[in-house]
Amino acid sequence: MAGVLLLALPWAIKLFALRHTEARLRNELHQVRQRIERVGVGSFLTTQDQRLHYDLLQDEFIDLRRGRRLHPGGADTIATLPRLRQGQLVDFRVLRASFVHEGQPYTLEIGKSMESVEDVYGLLRSFAAYALAFAVLTTLLLELGVINHLLRPFDLIVHRLRAVQGPTPPPQPPLSTNTWDFRYLDESIQQMLLKIRSVFEQERQFIANVSHELLTPISILQNRFENMLQAENLPEEAETQLVTSQKTLQRLTATLRTLLLISRIENAQFARPDRVDVRELLREVVEELEDRLVDRHITLTQQLEGTPALAPANRTLLFALFFNLISNAIKYNHPEGTITVRGAAQPDGSYQLRIHNTGRPIPAEQLPHLFERFRRFDDGRVEGYGLGLAVVRSVTQFHGIGIEPASDEAGTTFTLTLPPPQ
Amino acid sequence: MNVLIIEDDKALARELGLYLHNERFHCDFARTGREASEKLFVNEYDFVLLDLGLPDQDGLQLLAEARKERNQQASIIILSARGTVDDRIKGLDLGADDYLAKPYSLLELVSRMQAIVRRKHGVTQDTLGFGPFVLNVSDRTLRYHGEQEVTLTKKEFDLLHYLLLHRHKVLTRLQLSEHIWGSMISDSDDRDSNFIDVHVKNIRKKLAPYDSGDWIETVRGVGYRIKTAQEA
Repeated sequence: MAGVLLLALPWAIKLFALRHTEARLRNELHQVRQRIERVGVGSFLTTQDQRLHYDLLQDEFIDLRRGRRLHPGGADTIATLPRLRQGQLVDFRVLRASFVHEGQPYTLEIGKSMESVEDVYGLLRSFAAYALAFAVLTTLLLELGVINHLLRPFDLIVHRLRAVQGPTPPPQPPLSTNTWDFRYLDESIQQMLLKIRSVFEQERQFIANVSHELLTPISILQNRFENMLQAENLPEEAETQLVTSQKTLQRLTATLRTLLLISRIENAQFARPDRVDVRELLREVVEELEDRLVDRHITLTQQLEGTPALAPANRTLLFALFFNLISNAIKYNHPEGTITVRGAAQPDGSYQLRIHNTGRPIPAEQLPHLFERFRRFDDGRVEGYGLGLAVVRSVTQFHGIGIEPASDEAGTTFTLTLPPPQ
Repeated sequence: MNVLIIEDDKALARELGLYLHNERFHCDFARTGREASEKLFVNEYDFVLLDLGLPDQDGLQLLAEARKERNQQASIIILSARGTVDDRIKGLDLGADDYLAKPYSLLELVSRMQAIVRRKHGVTQDTLGFGPFVLNVSDRTLRYHGEQEVTLTKKEFDLLHYLLLHRHKVLTRLQLSEHIWGSMISDSDDRDSNFIDVHVKNIRKKLAPYDSGDWIETVRGVGYRIKTAQEA
C-alpha cells in the first residue's frame, strides 16, 4: 500500500503542480479580459516586431495581438511552448485565447515559465515527502501498539507454557479474552496438558501397583528364608541352599528396585529441592567407595576449579549418579589404575566435569548403547546387571546435565556438562 | 514388649510375627485400618509396625490418627512396599520413628527396634568390647587396650558395630550388606553381598598386628559371627 503510494506520488504531484499553474493562467486571463473591457486594448497590444511583455522576474509574459485567429471557432488552448527570453529559447506553459473586442478579433497569450512550475513542483514534492514519512512513522507506531494489544492473550499463553515445569503443572484458570481463536488455542493447550498429566498419573499409579504387587511376595520369601536360617540344627546343605536362594532373591530385588527407580525418575516423581555442592558430594561418594579403591589399589585424584554447584537438584539422585560413575570407574579399571576427576567452568556459565579411568577401552560401536538398560559388553567382563548407567542417564536427563562417553587406549572418560545453577 | 503388626498380607504378617516371637516380642495383628484403629484405641503397645498399603485406609492417615491417640505411646515403624518417594518424608513428618522399604531384613528391623528402645530409655551404650578391643560408638573409634587406635573405614566400622550388636548370632552376608548399603539408592550390583567378605578380610588384617585371636568367625556358607572372649 505504502509502496504504491510512493510510486504514484511524484506523478500525482506533477499533475497537481501543472493544474495549479493552468488555473492561475486562466485566472490571469480573466483579469486581463476585464481590464481590456475597462481601459481598451491599447496599452496591452503588442506589435509584430515588438518583444514580449515580461513581468519583473521574467517568468510570466502577456502577449496580445490583433487578428490571427489560429483556431477559428476554437476555445482556449494550453500547451508547453518555447518562447524567446533574453535571446534564449525557454519553455513556457502558454494559455492562448481568442476574443473579439469592439468588432476586432484578438489573440491573447499568457505564459508562465516552466521553471517556476518546476519550483512549485519541487516544493510540493518535499512537502509530500515529509508528510509521507510522518504518516508512515505514525502508522507504524500505532500498528505496533494495536497489534501488541491484540496479541496480548497470545503472549500470555506462551508465558504460561514456558512456566510449565515437569509433566504435571497445576491447572490454570481459562484465559480471559474475547477473541475466539485465542480461547480455542488456550483450551486446546489446556486439554493437551490435562492429557499428559493423566498419562503421567496413570503411569505413577502403575509403578506404585507394580511396586506393591512384586515387592510383597519378595518380602515374604526373604523373611521366610531368614526365619528358616534361624532354625537350630539345620543341615549344612540346606543352609547353603538357603543362602544361595537368598542371594538370587537379592539380585531380583536389586534389579526391580533399580528399574522402579528409573521409572520414577522418568515419571518425574522426585522433587528438586536441593542446592548441591559438587565437590562436597564427590567427597561423600569417594568416602563411600574408599574400601573398593583400597582393595583394588586404585588412585583417585581430583582437580576441580572453582566451586561447582547444581541447583535446583535432588541430592539423593545426584549421589547415585556420581556413585555409579565412580563405582564403574573402579570396576572397569585395571588393578593399580588411576581415576581422574577434572572440572572447569566454561565461558557459557556451564561447568564441565570429566571422570577418566585407565581401564580397557570400550569398543566404539558399543559407546552409543552404553546407557541402555540391560546392555552388557559382549566380552562378558561385566559382573553387574547393566542398569547402573541407565540410572546415570535418567538422573542426568532429570537435571539437564549433558553426558558424553569417550574411550580410547588411554582409558574411558565420561564428560558431564553441568548447567549453571539457578 | 508388645507389638502391633498392621499388615494386610497374611503370609508376610506370619513371617514377621514368627521372627519377632523368637526375639521375645509379643505380637498382635491387624489386617485392616479399622481393625488397627480399634486395637490402637484399646491396647497399649511399645511398637506399631505399619504397612502403608492397607485395603480400607491409607496407612499415612492411620499414622496421623495413632499419633493423636493420647494413651498410645508406641513407637511407629513404617514398612512399605509402595516405595513412593515422599512416603518416607511424609511418614517421618507425621511422627513415625523409622521407615523401612520392603523387602527388608528382619534382623535390620529388630536392630532398628532395639535402637529405638535404647534411645527411649536413654541406655545408649557408647562402647562395645570384644577381647582386648573396645569400639566407641560416639566418637567412632576402635581402640586396643583403651589406647592404640585401629583405623577403620566407615564401612568397616559399621560392619563391626553390627556384628557386635548381635554378638551371639550368625549374621548372613545379606543381612550385613542390607545394613551397610540398605538405605542407599545406587547401582544394583553395588549391593552385592560378596563385598562383605572383602570388608571382613580387611578388618581381620587390621586387627592381626595387635592380637592373634580370630575374633570374627566365618560360619561356612552362611556368614559371620563375633566370637566371645572364651572362644577366641
